[in-house]
Amino acid sequence: MISYEFLTTQKIKKALNYLDKFSKVHILAGGTDLLVNLYKESPRLPNFDYLLDISNISELKFLTLVDKFIEIGPLVTHSRLINEPLIKNNFPVLAEAAYTIGSTQIRNRGTIGGNIVNASPAADLLPPLIALRAEIELTSRKGKRVLSLEEFLAGPYKTKIQVNELLTKIKIPLLGDNYYVDFQKIGRRKALSIARLSLALVTKVDEKGVFQDTRVVPGSATPYPQSLPETEKAINGKSIFNIDLEEIGKITSKEMVSITGERWSTPYKKPTIAVLIKRALKKIIEEAKTNE
Amino acid sequence: MNKITVTFVVNGKEVTLKVGPKERLLDTLREQLKLTGTKEGCSVGECGACTVILDGKAVSSCLILTGQIGGSEVLTVEGLEVYGNLDSLQQAFIDHHAIQCGFCTPGMLMSSKALLIHNPHPSREEIKTALEGNLCRCTGYEQIIEAIESVANK
Repeated sequence: MISYEFLTTQKIKKALNYLDKFSKVHILAGGTDLLVNLYKESPRLPNFDYLLDISNISELKFLTLVDKFIEIGPLVTHSRLINEPLIKNNFPVLAEAAYTIGSTQIRNRGTIGGNIVNASPAADLLPPLIALRAEIELTSRKGKRVLSLEEFLAGPYKTKIQVNELLTKIKIPLLGDNYYVDFQKIGRRKALSIARLSLALVTKVDEKGVFQDTRVVPGSATPYPQSLPETEKAINGKSIFNIDLEEIGKITSKEMVSITGERWSTPYKKPTIAVLIKRALKKIIEEAKTNE
Repeated sequence: MNKITVTFVVNGKEVTLKVGPKERLLDTLREQLKLTGTKEGCSVGECGACTVILDGKAVSSCLILTGQIGGSEVLTVEGLEVYGNLDSLQQAFIDHHAIQCGFCTPGMLMSSKALLIHNPHPSREEIKTALEGNLCRCTGYEQIIEAIESVANK
C-alpha cells in the first residue's frame, strides 16, 4: 500500500526547502496523471514518503512576454494555453496540441510543467515545445540552471531533474517572420485519447518559397519525443513548389525506425508517420502559397 | 499518516475538515459531507460522473486531493437548487428527457453549468467540447445537448 505525508505550500522558497530537507519527495501539481497512478497503485510510481503539493504556488502561474521570449509558469493549465491570446497568436501549434489533451476537466487541472516533468512518450505538449526550441529553468536552493527541453528529457518518463530541483519556468523564443506551424495527432477517438502518434512541424518559408530552419518532432513515435534531424535536413532547401512529399514521408518513416528498431507497432506507425508529415507539410505549403 | 486541516467553501458554506493525505475531494464530498449527488464512476478522470465546479471550473473530483483545495470554492449538484427552485439547467434536463438511469446526470449538469458561467450562449460544438469528458450510456447525448441548448438560447 502507498503511504505518505502530505506537504503543501504557496511559496517557491518553502517548496525548495522541503525538497532540500526531506528525501523521497514526489511533487503534485495538476494531479491528472499522479492521482490516476495513486488510485491504480501503478508500478510506474517511484517509491516516495512525502507528497509535496505545489498546485497553489501562484508565483508559478505567470504567462508573459519578456523581450523576445514568452515565459510560461509551469502551473499554467492546458485550458489557459488554449485561451491566452499570447499563446494563440504566437504559438498556435502549442494551443492546438493543448486542445487535444484529455477533456475539459483534465485541461482545467493538468499543467504544462506536469506534462514536461512526467515525460510520457505520448505527452502532447512535448513535440510542439521541442519544435519551438523551448528552454526550461530548474531551481534549487543552490541556484538556477537552464536547459533546452530536448536536453532535459532523458528517456521514457525520465528527465534530468535532480531531487532538490523544481521546474520554475518554460521559456520559448518568438518565431520570426515567415514561420509556419502545424500539429497532427491520431488517437483512438477524438476526446480523452492518448496520442497513438502525433507530429509537430515548425518551419520557415523564405521569399523564394524555400523551406528553412525546419523542425520536426513526432510524439509516441520514439521512446521519448525528440526531433528528426534527417527529415529536417531533407526538407530544408526544398521549394514549396516542387518538394517531393512521398520522398519526405519515406525519409521520416526510415528515420523513426532507425531510432526505435522494428517493434510490434512498426507496421502501423511506419506508414502513418509518413502520412502525418505529408499532411503537415501540405497544410503549410497551402498556407504559404496563399501568403505569396 | 498525518491528517491535514483544510478550510474551503462548499455550496456557499464554509467548512473546516480534517482529511487524510490520500483523501480525494470526491471522498470528502461523499463520505464526510454526505453530498452523494457527486458520483464515483471510473476514478481515473475518464467518465466525468464526479465532476464538480472548483473556483468556477469543471474538474474531476477523483483527481484532486482535498488537501490541495484550502481556500477554494466548490459547487456540487446539490448547490444548483436555490431557495427550493431548480436551476434552469436541471429543469431543462427534465423537460428534454435528458435523463435515463441518472448516474451521469450530476456530472453532466456540472460540466454544462461551468460552460454557461463563462459562455452563456455557447454553440453546439462548444457544448460538445464541454461534455467530452462526461460519458452517458443511456441517452445517446442528443437530449442532453438539446437541454443545454434550450437554456443557452434563452
